[in-house]
Amino acid sequence: MMRSRSWEKVFFTILGAPAAICLTVFFWITSVLLTGIGTIRLNLLTTSALQGGLFEMIVGTAYLLLGAAGVAGPVGVFAAIHLTEYARHGRLIRVIDQAINNLAGMPSILIGLFGYAFFCRQLGLGISLASGWLTLALMMLPIVIRGTEEAIKMVPYNFKEAALALGASKWETVKSVTVPSAAPGIITSILLGMARVAGETAAILFTSCVLVTRGLPKSPFEPVMALAFNLFVKIVALGESPDKVFGIALILFLLVISFASVGIALRIYYRRKQPWLR
Amino acid sequence: MAEVDIRKLNVWFKDNHVLKDLTLTIEENAVTAIMGPSGCGKSTLLRAINRMNETIDGCRTTGEIYIDGQNIYNGNTDVYELRRRVGMVFQKPNPLPKSIFENVAFGVKIHKLADGKKLNEIVERSLKEAVLWDEVKDRLHESAFSLSGGQQQRLCIARALAVNPEIILLDEPCSALDPIATQKIETLMRKLAEKYTVIIVTHNVQQAARVSDYVAFLYLGKLIEYGPTKQVFESPKHELTERYITGEFG
Ligand SMILES: Nc1ncnc2c1ncn2[C@@H]1O[C@H](COP(=O)(O)OP(=O)(O)OP(=O)(O)O)[C@@H](O)[C@H]1O
Ligand SMILES: [Mg+2]
Repeated sequence: MMRSRSWEKVFFTILGAPAAICLTVFFWITSVLLTGIGTIRLNLLTTSALQGGLFEMIVGTAYLLLGAAGVAGPVGVFAAIHLTEYARHGRLIRVIDQAINNLAGMPSILIGLFGYAFFCRQLGLGISLASGWLTLALMMLPIVIRGTEEAIKMVPYNFKEAALALGASKWETVKSVTVPSAAPGIITSILLGMARVAGETAAILFTSCVLVTRGLPKSPFEPVMALAFNLFVKIVALGESPDKVFGIALILFLLVISFASVGIALRIYYRRKQPWLR
Repeated sequence: MAEVDIRKLNVWFKDNHVLKDLTLTIEENAVTAIMGPSGCGKSTLLRAINRMNETIDGCRTTGEIYIDGQNIYNGNTDVYELRRRVGMVFQKPNPLPKSIFENVAFGVKIHKLADGKKLNEIVERSLKEAVLWDEVKDRLHESAFSLSGGQQQRLCIARALAVNPEIILLDEPCSALDPIATQKIETLMRKLAEKYTVIIVTHNVQQAARVSDYVAFLYLGKLIEYGPTKQVFESPKHELTERYITGEFG
């Protein structure tokens, strides 16, 4: 008894180490970035990039994110509904499942390359917001699909049974019982997907971004400025020193953290509010 | 109200032959109790009548069930319309994650039977019919989960009544309830039988004796005995029935 218990202790201490490392790294990044506060003046947020501000980058990043969510949200949710509620389990589904996993683990530079080859060149969308939306949507999709699938699977079967027994068709059941019950989880997964791509650089590198634009893009077929892209270019191409870009980095960081936090907070809130999820 | 005429009904779950050649006619305007030991196929029989078995993978059915002379297993039956006509109440109360009002209105909306003021009337009438109205009339827009178990079960009955069914199936509707809630539901069932064909699955022999007009005894997927409750309880024809109702097994 004693023996196994002390082994347990050793074991869990070892398991605790990676968690400690994660925390340390997180706080280190936070503290370094916080030094960026010094370089931010509030009016930079609303000043045009042409005057050395960040306005177009911030709005451009928001455009990219919202558009990508607008594509990946509906597509991912419908895909997940299909996979969980309609598809017959067989070899094809296993292949699709594996493809989704592979897409999730795909290096973003490869997704960016695909986006460039396919959306920009093949479809002729060029370096544009639209190409960025589609490319980022590809990265969001696995997260949205997996999250939605999980949320749908958590809806108790007796809800669906109740609706079916009242004479609801499968689609009516999905639409008016399953999806509303899973909505919190679905929204969370979309937010987590947005957090995943908010700081994405490689995928927009050669699909949608340029260093400077005159004002905001006027249509989806124009290129856009983005925080992550500017950060990258300023350091790699223009050779600026890291502390010069801490301001941009900090804003990017806050953006990602806030999406993820809202997503997680929503999840916790709805777990409490929906007794059947427990 | 409608007669349910079951002819040579067989149901399989994968290789498991669950119902074997059942033939019986369930009378309208009466309460018919289906009893038998656990796993003998009571729920499966009930779910054959609204074709809910087919929502389960690997389930196969042969035979016929005639409701008002029409075979519900022939190709041109509209299952959604069938399930409107044949309401179902489950063992565990299963309100939808919606308000009390929306629970009752759900089926009415799905079948586009009414909206607006007419819908409100239907909801009120159904809740009254299920003897729940007085307890919920001031809180119709609260979550259905705020109700007690017994109230939830009556809500589920109201929900089934709202779509103008002819037949009501109840699968052990009292097994999750306390004695007082059980008594309310039993009284309600007697009342429902004035207007509907009521079929109830029960584990509880006393309950079958109290509420039913006819009783069917199933054993290992076969219909062992079926007849007027009084007759079956006073002079069972089959030894298995006698042993079951005297509590020798079950
Ligand atoms: N969804 C299902 N999938 C596979 N087999 C099932 C399913 N539902 C029921 N069965 C099988 O069918 C048989 C009859 O089950 P059924 O639920 O009809 O019994 P029951 O008489 O209602 O029992 P209980 O009194 O325990 O509710 C059992 O052997 C059961 O294992
Ligand atoms: Mg049962």
